[in-house]
Amino acid sequence: MSKIEKALAKARRDKGLALVPVAPRESAPETGRDMTPAPHSGSGSFSVADGESLVRASEAIARMHELEIRSRGELAENRIIYPEMAGNGTVQAFREIRTKILQRTKGRNGVIMVTSVTGGGGSTFVTLNLGAAFAFDAGKTALLIDCNLRNPWLQTLLKDESPPGLMDYLENADKDIAEIIHPVGIERLRVIPAGGRRDIPAEYFTSPRFKRMFENIRRRYAERFVILDAPPMTDSADTKILADLCDYVLLVIPYGRVTQEQIDESIKTIDSEKFLGVVFNNEPRPPEIDWKNLVKLSIQQVTQLFWAARAKIARLTGILKNSRSAE
Amino acid sequence: MSLLADPRIKVVLNELLLHRRAAVVVFAVVNLVALTAALTWPRGYTVSATILVSERNIIQPLMQGAAATTGVNDRAKIAREIINGRKVMNQVIDAAEWATPDTTQSRREGIIDRLNSRTTITNAGNNLIKIQYRDNDAERAFVTTKTLADIFIKESIQEKAAESQAAFEFINSQATEYHAKLVAMEERLKEFRIANIDVRGSEGDITQRMSTLQSVIEQSTQELREAEVKKKSLEKQLSGEAETATALSREGQYRQRIAELNSQLENLRLNYHDTYPDIVRLRRQIVDLNESIVAEKQRRDQAKVTGQVVIDDSVMNNPMYQQLKRDLSQTQITVDTLQARITEARRQMSTVLETGKRAQSGEATLAELTRDYQVTRDIYQDLLRRRENARVSMNMDRENQGLTFKIQEAATFPTQPGGLRFWHFIALGILFGALAPIGLIYGKTQIDSHLRIPAPIAEQYRLPMLVSVPHLWSELETAELRQDMAWLGLAIFGTLCVMLFFTSLSIVGVV
Repeated sequence: MSKIEKALAKARRDKGLALVPVAPRESAPETGRDMTPAPHSGSGSFSVADGESLVRASEAIARMHELEIRSRGELAENRIIYPEMAGNGTVQAFREIRTKILQRTKGRNGVIMVTSVTGGGGSTFVTLNLGAAFAFDAGKTALLIDCNLRNPWLQTLLKDESPPGLMDYLENADKDIAEIIHPVGIERLRVIPAGGRRDIPAEYFTSPRFKRMFENIRRRYAERFVILDAPPMTDSADTKILADLCDYVLLVIPYGRVTQEQIDESIKTIDSEKFLGVVFNNEPRPPEIDWKNLVKLSIQQVTQLFWAARAKIARLTGILKNSRSAE
Repeated sequence: MSLLADPRIKVVLNELLLHRRAAVVVFAVVNLVALTAALTWPRGYTVSATILVSERNIIQPLMQGAAATTGVNDRAKIAREIINGRKVMNQVIDAAEWATPDTTQSRREGIIDRLNSRTTITNAGNNLIKIQYRDNDAERAFVTTKTLADIFIKESIQEKAAESQAAFEFINSQATEYHAKLVAMEERLKEFRIANIDVRGSEGDITQRMSTLQSVIEQSTQELREAEVKKKSLEKQLSGEAETATALSREGQYRQRIAELNSQLENLRLNYHDTYPDIVRLRRQIVDLNESIVAEKQRRDQAKVTGQVVIDDSVMNNPMYQQLKRDLSQTQITVDTLQARITEARRQMSTVLETGKRAQSGEATLAELTRDYQVTRDIYQDLLRRRENARVSMNMDRENQGLTFKIQEAATFPTQPGGLRFWHFIALGILFGALAPIGLIYGKTQIDSHLRIPAPIAEQYRLPMLVSVPHLWSELETAELRQDMAWLGLAIFGTLCVMLFFTSLSIVGVV
């Protein structure tokens, strides 16, 4: 956990959930959304101007309006990591992915597509937690876009059952992008849900509006990492289109569910320059178990079983007695 | 930790976690099966007896070379053949009360087969035969093993004695046969010798004798010739010689006296005158002598005319003639002797030649007879020696001094069942119960081509491997896992308790 994260956590504890930006907003405060114009995020050399823009970006991030922050229990229940999370190394693994990505992107933001070799491979889990890991850092934000139009999931994080999402934006020309970006109760993490199911998503992904939206998002924050949750590589051709639009591709290989042939098939469609690497997901490493507690638990279970059995016997004997006395 | 770092072990552990319930069920089932097997497995009592076969006893060095001890190489094999034989088996089933005299033959066969299959005979050591028998009934196992060992020893000793007895008898019969042959040979040889008693000596002897005779003939002939020449010469000389010879006549004596007196006269006339007395005397003497000569001449002439031999002391036999006559006679004797000798030598010569011819054929026959005799004699002598060895061997076996059998370790009454015991099943059950799920899971991971280890991604497929994300356990999942683990732990503990409970029952003797 970085020092900034610790400080933020402390602040959160001290002031509840009010991480309300103190500085005046530059634009669109009425929307309650982070529609602050993004500072310039060029792809050229790092200059003094870049440094200034970074400072401005950090300020902008600090000014991001957050909803009610989710509790740790809630996060754990939704299988979302948080910095203090104990366990078998999942948090550490995501931190490592983040570090490796930052090494590869040389600290600059980018659009990362997360796809799995096979359906149910955990690309959504990786997308969500990778976003969370980026958002650990107070100086960075993450935007998750649910591009899995056949099987969308990210909307479940939101309270609204059918929140306006990607499809709404692409189908309605008058829809503003700010309307489809939703906070999810995790600091510095925003989500664009799918906005409904679509069976043929390719036509949406090839539309100019989609590309423009990408440009727009990419420029909004220099420190924003856009992460797409894409359908599995082997399932549809949409992923290939998305891969062309993205800067980087991350491939998720689920434990014990794919063969070498499937991996080879997936790799073939990915541009090697964009390919970030492989995340081996869902390795069944046991959680930390307190064995003493386990013994205690066993004893408790046996005792419970014993008492339950005794109660049942008592009840049965009671019924028998009653029936006899009735006779 | 290094063990856990092995990806294969890691995968097995991961899979065990995933299939924990199935693993525990397999553990429990394997244990249950083992327990059932332990309870139903028939108890077997194994009784063994070890027999020491000793061929090295005090007698052996003493009888070295004289007696052959009955030796066997693979004793266990021989023992197996003896024991598994019908003879011993029939004795055993009668002695160990497996069958009664009423038992049918087919039933007896069945019992024998069963006995055979349960009996194992092994070489426990160099000279040790181990007879092992297994049965469900401890007492029957004991009795059968004991009987097997006893009958085996009895049979072996009997067989051994019979073997050496047979060997002795065979050699004895051979010796008798050869004795008869030898006697016949001797008889034939004797007859032949009698028939050819004169034909003695070798070819060399005959040649020598012949050459001796030849030289005698030659020498005698030579001598005969010489004698004949001598005889002829003597005869010739004898014809020219007078039978008698007159010695010097008186005339001669007178003239010789006159000559002597004349020489004396001459000598004296040199010194003296004719008148010298001596000269005168000498002259007178000479005249006298001349007168005597004339008288003699007259007398001889007169004798010749009258033919009257005048015995005169001066006439005598001719000695030369006598000598020659004697020599001739002697030579005649020599000639006769030599002729007789030559004749005799020639006769002998022809006899020797005749003998030589006979000896040639006789010698071949003799050589054959002698050879046959010698061979037969050698064999007979050898047989005699062998017969004595065999006799000693037979006596040794009869006195149990040869190959001896001794029960080294007698059959003991079994108190504990042998073979797989109750606790063996329990231990094996627990062991296999623990190993079976691991093995099954390992097998599954080996057969299943789905990727379970992140390592090959980087190494084999050459893909940049970012990280391996472990399963994120939600609170609920963790709680469930804990509960699961607690129950599974209880199940394992319970299974072990049941196993141990039955083991203690078996130790106490309840089951």
